Amino acid sequence: MAVMKFLCDTKRCIECNGCVTACSNSNSEALTFGTMRRRVVTLHDGEPGEASISVACMHCSDAPCKAVCPANCFYTTDDGIVLHNKETCIGCGYCFYACPFGAPQFPKKTAFGSRGKMDKCTYCAGGPVPDFSEEEQRLYGANRIAEGKLPLCAEMCSTKALLAGDAEVISSIYRARVAARSNPDTIWGYVPETGN
Amino acid sequence: MIRQCLHRLLLPLILCLLAVNPALASDEQQQQEAALMAQQQKVLAGEQQQLSQLQAQPQASDADLWRAVRAGDAGYTVAPGAESGRLINAVGQEGRLIRDQYVIPTLGAMLVGVFALFLLFYLINGPARLTKGFSGKMVRRWSSADMLLHWLMAISCLLLMITGLIIAWGRHALEGWMSADVWAGLIYGSKTLHDWTGPVFIVSWALCILKWMPLQMFKRYDFNWFMTAGGYVHFGPFKGKHPESGFANAGEKLWFWTLALFGLFISVTGVMLVLPDLVITRENSFVALIIHGFSAAILIGFTIVHIWMATALSEGGLESMVSGYCDENWAIQHHNIWYDEIKADGSLEYKT
Repeated sequence: MAVMKFLCDTKRCIECNGCVTACSNSNSEALTFGTMRRRVVTLHDGEPGEASISVACMHCSDAPCKAVCPANCFYTTDDGIVLHNKETCIGCGYCFYACPFGAPQFPKKTAFGSRGKMDKCTYCAGGPVPDFSEEEQRLYGANRIAEGKLPLCAEMCSTKALLAGDAEVISSIYRARVAARSNPDTIWGYVPETGN
Repeated sequence: MIRQCLHRLLLPLILCLLAVNPALASDEQQQQEAALMAQQQKVLAGEQQQLSQLQAQPQASDADLWRAVRAGDAGYTVAPGAESGRLINAVGQEGRLIRDQYVIPTLGAMLVGVFALFLLFYLINGPARLTKGFSGKMVRRWSSADMLLHWLMAISCLLLMITGLIIAWGRHALEGWMSADVWAGLIYGSKTLHDWTGPVFIVSWALCILKWMPLQMFKRYDFNWFMTAGGYVHFGPFKGKHPESGFANAGEKLWFWTLALFGLFISVTGVMLVLPDLVITRENSFVALIIHGFSAAILIGFTIVHIWMATALSEGGLESMVSGYCDENWAIQHHNIWYDEIKADGSLEYKT
């Protein structure tokens, strides 16, 4: 079985936020105002060595959110996509504390500003309810995986910086790119002369 | 890299050519070659400078950029929300491991272990009976306000413990026994009840602590109570001992101060966890979660001891929190200094 991952090529990402817009568009029915499943972070903005990277749920193989959830509402699909059941979610926020990437989002619309049901990137793979059902659209958004398509963020990336697909396939694409660039300072953390 | 090697090879080559056949080179050629050499030296010097800069300031290299990201460096983002510019924050993952490996097992061990130990002690030792039997004369011990506060705190506290244990242990101990729908209802109900019972506990806890604090100061004779294990042990060197105690015995005082301290911890961390707007960082949230869990474990252990002592171990003990009156013989046997005091100052009040 495939292990679906995202990979962002920071030498290509131009911080256009197209992926964020594509995500919001694709999952518009499930998202409330203020929740963003994907975000673009620019490091050293405006300085030499600036790098932009698009982040969402990393669909970890050993996901901390899944391990910490008191309601046990997370599950991993056969394709290695980490999804959760919003009917079971109790809005405790533990997954948000545990996630290193800040992927879980809470709509905050209940009494005293407490959290509502958690929302996060589904890899455009819907949820535990029947595929393409009205309920799935409302709770989880798009199910492009069931249509045989990749997440819209990666599909729409203008520079093809954001790659989605089987880990082995996308890492080969990335490896080929790095080899083709062949000059120092292109591979993360590798400067041949300094050994850094 | 390749360019640099070529430069390094080219330079001696040109020098050799110049040395071997100087006569061939005309003035014009010489000038051109000198200009070329100067240019190459400039390029080499530039590259050398770049390298030494990189070596001197390794933070400019990509490796250090990503190392800083792994350590929690933040960048610019248009995304809303606290900490959205931070790419990696692994503190929560470490906290999660502490919770799963220590907090949850401790909670379970406290619940099962303390109960089992007390059951064992009860079966071997038996309850502490009144040596002179019941006198039938009842002495006022608690006011109705005390009892109201006590039971308000007790019921909210027990509800919090049960729902809290379901939140911590439910997915390991209960989920497998029920259908997904029942489980979803149970865990959602537990979390909601936990959130709404919390304020009741906090208020009743604060009032109890403030109201009872004057009675709970440690006295010199309390040391002796601990040394004789409170007179509850009916074998070995402790047999037949009746240590002195005031209104509250040393064990009750220990329970009071434990409840005061860990009740404070659990209340503050509970508020932090329920109202996410108050604590915006994930670090604080997870520290709160771990403190909340450990405080709960200690309070659960002590509550089990408290309930055992009141209901089974101390004959006639529960009566005082049910009716507000205790048997006179019970007062003399378990709280002699208090009994002597109220008798001396005339505040002793019999049930009419």
